[in-house]
Amino acid sequence: MKHLFNQADEPTRRQFMQNAARAYLGVHLFPMLGSSIASAAAEGAAKGAKAKHVIYLFMAGGMSHIDTFDPKPKKKDVMGPTTAIPTSADGVEISGYLPKTAKVADKMCIINSLNSTQGAHEQGSYIMHTSYSQRGTIQHPALGSWVVKLGGRLHPELPGFVAVNASPELTGGGFFGAKFSAAPIGSPDQGLQDSRRADVVSEVDFTRRLSLADRLNKQFHDRYPNTDVKAYEELYREAIALMNSKDLKAFDLGQEDAATRQMYGSGNFAQGCLLARRLVEHDVRFVEVQLGGWDTHYDNFTAVEGRCQEFDQAYAALLTDLEKRGKLKDTLVVVATEFGRTPEIKAEHGDGRDHHPGAFSCVLAGGGVKGGMKYGETDSSGGKVKENVVSVQDFNATIAYALGLPHDLVLMSPTKRPFKIADKGIPVTTIFG
Amino acid sequence: MKIPNKAIIGSLLLVSLAIPGYGQAKGVPSPGDDAELLKKSALEIDQFIASFYRRKKLPVPEVTDDATFMRRAFLVGIGRIPTAEEALAFMEIGSPSKREELVGYLMNSQGYSSHMTNWAFDLLRLRDGRQGSQANNEPYRNWIRKAMDENMRWDEFVTRLVSSSGDGWDPETASVGYYTIDKGMPLDNLANTMRIFLGSRMECAQCHDDPFGKTERMDFYHLAAFTNGQYEMNKKLMTPLWEELQEDRESRGFEYQVAQLFWDRIYGMALGGGGMGRIDLPSDYQYRDGKPGEMVGAKTPFGKTVRMSDRRNEGDGREQFGGWIVTRTGEQFASVIANRMWERIMGKGIYEPIDEYIESPKTVYPELMSYAAKLMHDLDYDLRAFQHVLMLTKTFQFTTNPNPSTLEGGDDFHGRKIERLSAEQIWDSLITLSSGDPDKQQVRTPDNRIYVGNSPVLVGKMDMTRLSKEVLALKSEPEVRKYFNDFLGTVKSGGGKSEGEDTMSMDTMSVKRYGRDAPVRASELPSPAPREHFLYLFGASDREVVEGASKDPNVGQVLSMMNGFVQRQLVGNTGAHIYKSLEGASTDEEKIRRIYVAILNRPPTAEEMGWMKDEVASQGEEGLSNIVAALVMSSEFLFLQ
Repeated sequence: MKHLFNQADEPTRRQFMQNAARAYLGVHLFPMLGSSIASAAAEGAAKGAKAKHVIYLFMAGGMSHIDTFDPKPKKKDVMGPTTAIPTSADGVEISGYLPKTAKVADKMCIINSLNSTQGAHEQGSYIMHTSYSQRGTIQHPALGSWVVKLGGRLHPELPGFVAVNASPELTGGGFFGAKFSAAPIGSPDQGLQDSRRADVVSEVDFTRRLSLADRLNKQFHDRYPNTDVKAYEELYREAIALMNSKDLKAFDLGQEDAATRQMYGSGNFAQGCLLARRLVEHDVRFVEVQLGGWDTHYDNFTAVEGRCQEFDQAYAALLTDLEKRGKLKDTLVVVATEFGRTPEIKAEHGDGRDHHPGAFSCVLAGGGVKGGMKYGETDSSGGKVKENVVSVQDFNATIAYALGLPHDLVLMSPTKRPFKIADKGIPVTTIFG
Repeated sequence: MKIPNKAIIGSLLLVSLAIPGYGQAKGVPSPGDDAELLKKSALEIDQFIASFYRRKKLPVPEVTDDATFMRRAFLVGIGRIPTAEEALAFMEIGSPSKREELVGYLMNSQGYSSHMTNWAFDLLRLRDGRQGSQANNEPYRNWIRKAMDENMRWDEFVTRLVSSSGDGWDPETASVGYYTIDKGMPLDNLANTMRIFLGSRMECAQCHDDPFGKTERMDFYHLAAFTNGQYEMNKKLMTPLWEELQEDRESRGFEYQVAQLFWDRIYGMALGGGGMGRIDLPSDYQYRDGKPGEMVGAKTPFGKTVRMSDRRNEGDGREQFGGWIVTRTGEQFASVIANRMWERIMGKGIYEPIDEYIESPKTVYPELMSYAAKLMHDLDYDLRAFQHVLMLTKTFQFTTNPNPSTLEGGDDFHGRKIERLSAEQIWDSLITLSSGDPDKQQVRTPDNRIYVGNSPVLVGKMDMTRLSKEVLALKSEPEVRKYFNDFLGTVKSGGGKSEGEDTMSMDTMSVKRYGRDAPVRASELPSPAPREHFLYLFGASDREVVEGASKDPNVGQVLSMMNGFVQRQLVGNTGAHIYKSLEGASTDEEKIRRIYVAILNRPPTAEEMGWMKDEVASQGEEGLSNIVAALVMSSEFLFLQ
């Protein structure tokens, strides 16, 4: 099944998707007028959409754009102590807190024109991860889940979607079901916990336990037919396939040499980035790694400097390492956040910055994206988007496009409502080279 | 193993018969102590439900069997499965009021407050530490825990959280943590207050008028005026000293650490200012009804109007705000908490989502909702009594319903919907199996020790409560400097005068803390659960957002059950409590029966007994472990029926 999606011709691709969708419980495929799929897919294949994997780095809390990727050196009252430095990309400046990142800017496409309507953490993170507004009535699948749903897994046993240090509410399969939820990794050092049968348990006993549980569960399920119950049963099959995989070592950071581990830096995030690189090398589709602490209402500059130190080293190492191993061209590395922060500095809160969804920055690199450029622009103080606004949905559609996935394909939920990978988002195709 | 059935049955009966003694276990006397009132209220609720079914011309559902009831009551009431002893004791009670007796036993047991504490921590986003600061939430955490333990009335609880001021380490005012943990984000804090206590979702109004028409940005700022003007008490007195030490922190490292202790952990945790009652509109205010920077007075957006002047700082805004929430919002305050408790016990709210208030007439069952709100009010907001009433109803006992509600937006009262246990319920149940009754373990005690950097100092001589009190009493900059230098000297010399036992908390001598691997209840573990912990894997909230827990399955959970904690601490652990409880059982059948009762809280069916006997016959001792493993991995164990 590897790469079938990108290689097959159009009718075969459509057939595959229809069959695949019907095979999954309760989801119906409802293609919107054949031509749109054809054009989207054909365009994708033609115009440089090369990515097979995504490494999604989520800066949780609302990363201040002015103090990172959209500095305004001409406005001292907006910058505070933050400086702007040149980068390896002509005419592109970023914050002085990101010196290592500046050196790899030639691989990056910095999007300064993100715009969201959701300025609260829960709603903002939710819409960034799912492209839909949070509702009490339905749980939307995360972007990673969509990618695995539409594009399939690349490795038959390893999970298609892995989330390191992430929130379960933002990395779940939603109405696609538990099979599409991220496999969670709490601590990259510990890898995929409990993935090997305990030494004291023989293979025979292990199998007998599962068979006993199976019998009990069939009974239980007959009495209480319920999708949540069934979801657990399906996961047992997943888990066993995973346990038997010869590629479990993908989760083992101990296989990396000390020099590489040091290059990324220490800390959960840094080692999470390294783990992400390993995982995509072993054909995991989508890896999300979270870095928290960006909600700098209070004492913005000290806090941002601290966050940037962790981010800067790890991110630069990741891009460099991926390129060295020839994986950057088929891996899209995303840096995203739920919103930015106010240009106005709040002196009464120890020089803090508050939430600012009206304008913020995200970054794309690899996977066919042109490097060394900025897309979109904010006004002189970084408060409003001036040019080439990119909505959260447009951003997610762009990620779909990079992977050659149809952003306008409609899938129906079990409750018969239509959904797309990026809702109404339109991909920004000009950034692909 | 000798199970003291008679003793347990005896004590259960005593509890139910001693009516005046009932409420004396913990807390202030309340209408909830009247057992007759509780029964009567339960009956009234059942009558509402019966009339609901009459109207639909359908029969009222059956009640479930004893074993299912017992397990449900334990998990819903105190957050864990019964111990084998408790299960056997209940099963052997002959009297017709056994279910009533069980509910009484549960509401009075130690486990009740642990289970409530998890709920409170999730609602209030209680985390142990604060990012980027040496301040911690230790006294605040302890305040909440104690409030749950003493069954503090909900209206008092909310009032004290919202109106508090003062010293963060003083047990009386530690509730200021409610504000100080959200330092720098008072508006987000306000939005959460409105959501949690009044079911009013105002987060978006912080920045713009609600596009669906209900709340305006001006309304939000009028409310924010009540709590405006928070500051760290007396912190200015230390500013010059602090700035000096910050500049010099390389060379005066030790002094800087001590200064951090004062700055973050005393001043940074004390809340000054009682609420100005007025606030400046933000610089980006975009509507015609006000100008950016214009000062507006406090005003409540619904209920009985409370106003404060925009021309002077009245200084008691938080108190007025607290009073308004609790007593001047009509039915809203009572309705929201009643509905939260209904959801907790019955499985689904009368209206959902439970943090979006709907007026009774607009709910799926207006008369019931009104009754529930009124009952909450009449019980003086005694949450334990309210839950007790719900657990006494026949409605609570309906057979399990595997289907989602047939009514849009609320419960259809057709029996508790099947749902997975929360991470805390699973954990607390597993440790019951591995280590016996977890409610007999000592609870975590607050750590009031004074820390410089990561090391405790002056242990047994002085604690944070006293230090904080003395520091906050200092009235001038020179006084602060002097005290600081004296304190430095004391710490360096390791000495310090003890003022005798009456001013010292003996707890500093024997602080009880649990590391993350301890087999104790979730309420006693670090908050939030560490990322590698079983609790995190099973979806425990990271407490960054209100009620952020998840019950979704993922492959990591399944791996954990097959190969992880469950295998190490329970199945493969010959010292586990569940194996100890097999002592004295002479036949395989008896052993299997005991295992079933311990894990699934019911005896095996004849068919199941057949399978399990075959297993033991085939695998011997390992067979018993396999049975334990299979039962714990089963959906019946993980899902609440």
